[in-house]
Amino acid sequence: MNVIRLIAWREYLENVRTKGFWAGILLLPLMVTGVFLIQSTLSESAPTRYYLLVDQSGQYRDTVESAVELEHQRRVLQSFMNYLLDNRKERDLELTAANARSVADQLVDDIDEDETSALNEWIENGGLNFALTLVTPYLKEDAPPFESPEQLFIEAPLPEGVDPTLAPPLLIEQLRPYLRGERRIAVEGENREIFALILVPGDVNDHILRPGIMPSPDQSQYRGVQYWGRNLTDTRLPDAIERSLNTRVRSQEFARNGVDNALVRNIQRTRLALSKLDPLANDGEEAVSMADTFRQYAPVGFVYFMLLALMQSVQYLLTNTIEEKSNRILEVLLASVTPNELLMGKMLGIGLSSVTTLTAWLLSLFLILNFYESAETSTLVEIIGIILSSELVPWFIFYCLAGYALYAGIFLAIGSLCSTLKEAQGMMIPIFITMMIPITISPFVVMDPNGTLFRALSWFPPFTPFLMINRAAANPPLIDLLGTSLLLLLSILLVMWLSGRVFRQGLLRSGQPPRILELLRMMRTDSH
Amino acid sequence: MYESALTLENVSKQYGNFTAVDDICLQIPRASVYGFLGPNGAGKTTTMRMILDIIRPSSGNISILGHRSALEVRNRIGYLPEEKGLYKKMKVSALITYFACLKGMGKKAAQQRAKELLATYGLQDYSDARIESLSKGMSQKVQVLAAVAHNPELVILDEPFSGLDPVNQQVLEVLINNLSDNGQTVIFSTHIMEHAERLCDQILLIAGGRKIFDGSVTEAKSLVPRRVLLETAGDVSGLKNLAAVVKMIAIENEPGTDPQWLVEISNEAHPQDILKYCFDQGIPLSRFEFAESSLHDVFVNLVGKTGREQNPG
Repeated sequence: MNVIRLIAWREYLENVRTKGFWAGILLLPLMVTGVFLIQSTLSESAPTRYYLLVDQSGQYRDTVESAVELEHQRRVLQSFMNYLLDNRKERDLELTAANARSVADQLVDDIDEDETSALNEWIENGGLNFALTLVTPYLKEDAPPFESPEQLFIEAPLPEGVDPTLAPPLLIEQLRPYLRGERRIAVEGENREIFALILVPGDVNDHILRPGIMPSPDQSQYRGVQYWGRNLTDTRLPDAIERSLNTRVRSQEFARNGVDNALVRNIQRTRLALSKLDPLANDGEEAVSMADTFRQYAPVGFVYFMLLALMQSVQYLLTNTIEEKSNRILEVLLASVTPNELLMGKMLGIGLSSVTTLTAWLLSLFLILNFYESAETSTLVEIIGIILSSELVPWFIFYCLAGYALYAGIFLAIGSLCSTLKEAQGMMIPIFITMMIPITISPFVVMDPNGTLFRALSWFPPFTPFLMINRAAANPPLIDLLGTSLLLLLSILLVMWLSGRVFRQGLLRSGQPPRILELLRMMRTDSH
Repeated sequence: MYESALTLENVSKQYGNFTAVDDICLQIPRASVYGFLGPNGAGKTTTMRMILDIIRPSSGNISILGHRSALEVRNRIGYLPEEKGLYKKMKVSALITYFACLKGMGKKAAQQRAKELLATYGLQDYSDARIESLSKGMSQKVQVLAAVAHNPELVILDEPFSGLDPVNQQVLEVLINNLSDNGQTVIFSTHIMEHAERLCDQILLIAGGRKIFDGSVTEAKSLVPRRVLLETAGDVSGLKNLAAVVKMIAIENEPGTDPQWLVEISNEAHPQDILKYCFDQGIPLSRFEFAESSLHDVFVNLVGKTGREQNPG
C-alpha cells in the first residue's frame, strides 16, 4: 500500500508541477470570464440602427412606429427584469408561480409565462415609471438607479430629392445606393448608414392574405409590406413590424366583421394555469418549482461533469504511461513494484490530479460567478447550489469513482501497449464510442428514466455509471440500483484484473500495438 | 541460511519458436561478484529479467535470496536495466530518495543515504539539478546510485559500463568493489572483458541462449592454451615434436620482417622450454613473447562462431 501511495503521490506531483496543468486550470475561468465580458460588451454596445419608412398607403405609419416603440419597450422590460432579479430583496428559486410572494416575483413569473401579454400589460400600465413605483418597495436599499437602454431603431429622413410617391420599383432604384451602404443619410448632423427600408405600397391592402383565397402568382416577390435590408440575421425589426402589422390587420378584420376588438384582446389574454404537481412530494409541497425542475435535470449536469473528469484524466493516463515506456523507466520500476501496484498507483495519482483540476474549476467558477454579478450569473450560482444540494450527490460521487476506475484501467492498459500517442489514439476510438453512446442518450433518459430500453441498457457496465446517474433522480427500482451497482463493481474488478495482465505484458513490449487476437491472448495468459 | 544468493535450474525462455535462453543452470555464491559475459543478443538481459521476475521463464526454477520470486524479496535487490531511463523532470537527490523509498526505506533515511552517495561519488554539486540537465554518463551514474541506495543484498547491473567514459568506468569499478567489500552480491553483464577480469570472482559465458562456461576467471583462462610468439628466419618446424607444444600457427608477417609463429603450449609446459629448444638448435630469434591467456582470449575462443549477433534477448 505504501508503494501505491508513493507512486500515486509522484504521479500527482509530476502532473501538478507542469505548466500545462496550471494552464488547464486557468483556461476555463478565463474562458468563462471572457464569454461573460464579451456578452455584456456586445449587449451594451448594440449599435443604433437607422431605417427609412415610406408609407404610400397612408394607413400603416403609426403601426410601424408603434412596432418600433414596442420593440424598444420589450428591451426596456427585459433590461428591467434583469435589474429586478439583480436588486430585489428576496429571491428564491423554490417559489412556484402559485405562491409568488411579491409583486416583483409575480412580474418575473408573468414574463416567463407569456412575454407578449406581459409587454402589453406593461405598456398599458404606464411602462417603466409605473413598474418602478410598483417594485421599489421590493428592491434592495442600496440598489442603483435603473438605466434604461437606448433606442435601438431610429427613423431617418428620406434623402433630399427622393420623391416618396414614386412607384415602388422607381423609388427602390433611387434608394438602392443607400440600402447597399454606398451612400449615407445625414441624421442629426451625422452621416448614418441605412439599416433597412420599410416600404408600404399604396395598394398594400389588396395583398392581405385571407384563408381560402390564393395570392396571385405575379405578386409573389413584392407582396405586402416590403422590408429591404442587407442584414439577414438581425431579425428584430422585421419581426416586430410583422407582428404589429398583423395585429393591426386583424383588428381591422374584426371591425369589418362586427366583432368587438377589445373583447377579442381580452379573450386572447385569458389564461388557465397549469399547475405542475409532483405526487412523490409531501402533502402540501406537491407544486413543482423551478428548483424541482433543475433538480430533475441535475443528473444530466452530473453526467457531463463525469465525462469532463474522464476526458481530463485520459490525457494523463495515456501520456504518463507512454512517456515512462519511451523513457525506459518502466523496467526500473518493475524491479521495485508489481505491475498491479504500478497500475493502482497511477490510477490513484492521476485521479487525484483530475479531482484537483475539477475542484479548481468549480471554485474558480464560483468565484467568477460571485464576483461578476449579473442576473445570469446569480441564477447560475443558484442553479449550481441547487444541484450540489441534491440528494443525488452521493450517487454521483459513487458512479463517478466507479466510472473512472472502469475506464482508467482500460486507458492505462492501452498506454502500456503503445509507444506513441498516435498509436494510442487508434486504440481509443472504440472506447470513446462506447462512452459517447450513454452521453448522447442522456437527455432522453431524463424524460423516460425507467423505460424498458434504458433499464436494459443500464445493466451494460460501461453504460451503467452514466445511465444510472440519470435514472437515480427518478427512484429506479431497487433491483436496478443494487443489481447494476454490483455488476459495475464486479466489472471493475474484472477490468482491473485483465488490464493488469495486459499492462504487465505491454510494458516491456516494443513495436506496433497488438492486434485484437493478440490482445485477447494477452488477457488469457498470465505469462509475461 | 541459504548458501547461494541465486540459483537457476534448467531455466529456459521461449518466444514462439525462438529460444532466447536455453536450459541455463547456475549457482551464484553470496557476497561474490559475478559476471554475465556474452555477445549481443546472447540472452544476458532475458536471463536477468527472469531472475527479477519481470518476465517469467518458460521452464525451470529460480531461487533468489532463498525465495521463489524476486518480487518477494524486491526490497533486498537492486537493479540497473540495460536501457537506462529516469524521470527527466525530477531532481537528482529526490530521484534517488524516491527509488530508495520504493524499496522500503523511510523518507528521512533515504534522503540521508542519497546525500551520502552523491558525496561519495562526486555528485554532491548536482543534488538539486534536474535529470534532464545531466550528461548521459552522469545520469547513468545517478541511476546506478538509485539502484544501490537501499543497500540491497543482491545488486544486478545490466551493462553498467556501456556509455561511460574511462574515468566514470573506473568510478563504477570502485563502486562495485565497495559493494563487494560490504558483503553484497553483485551480478553484472558486460562484453568488455577487462572489467570482468578485474572485478569478477566468477563468470557465466553465454552465447545463443546457451551456457558455454560457468566458473572462476582462473578456470576460464585454463580453458585456453597459453601462447608464445616467435619471430625468426630460422627453421622452427622441429618445435612441433616437443611435448609442450600443442599447435603452431604461421602468422602473416609484414614485408622486410622475419616470419612469425604463434606456438600454443600445454598448461603444464613452461615457456622456457621453447626458448631452451631454440637456443639448443641455434635458431636465431628476433622476437620471443609469452602472454598468459586473457578473458578476451577465452571469450573469443569459447564463444567463437556462436558469438555472432543473435536475435535480441
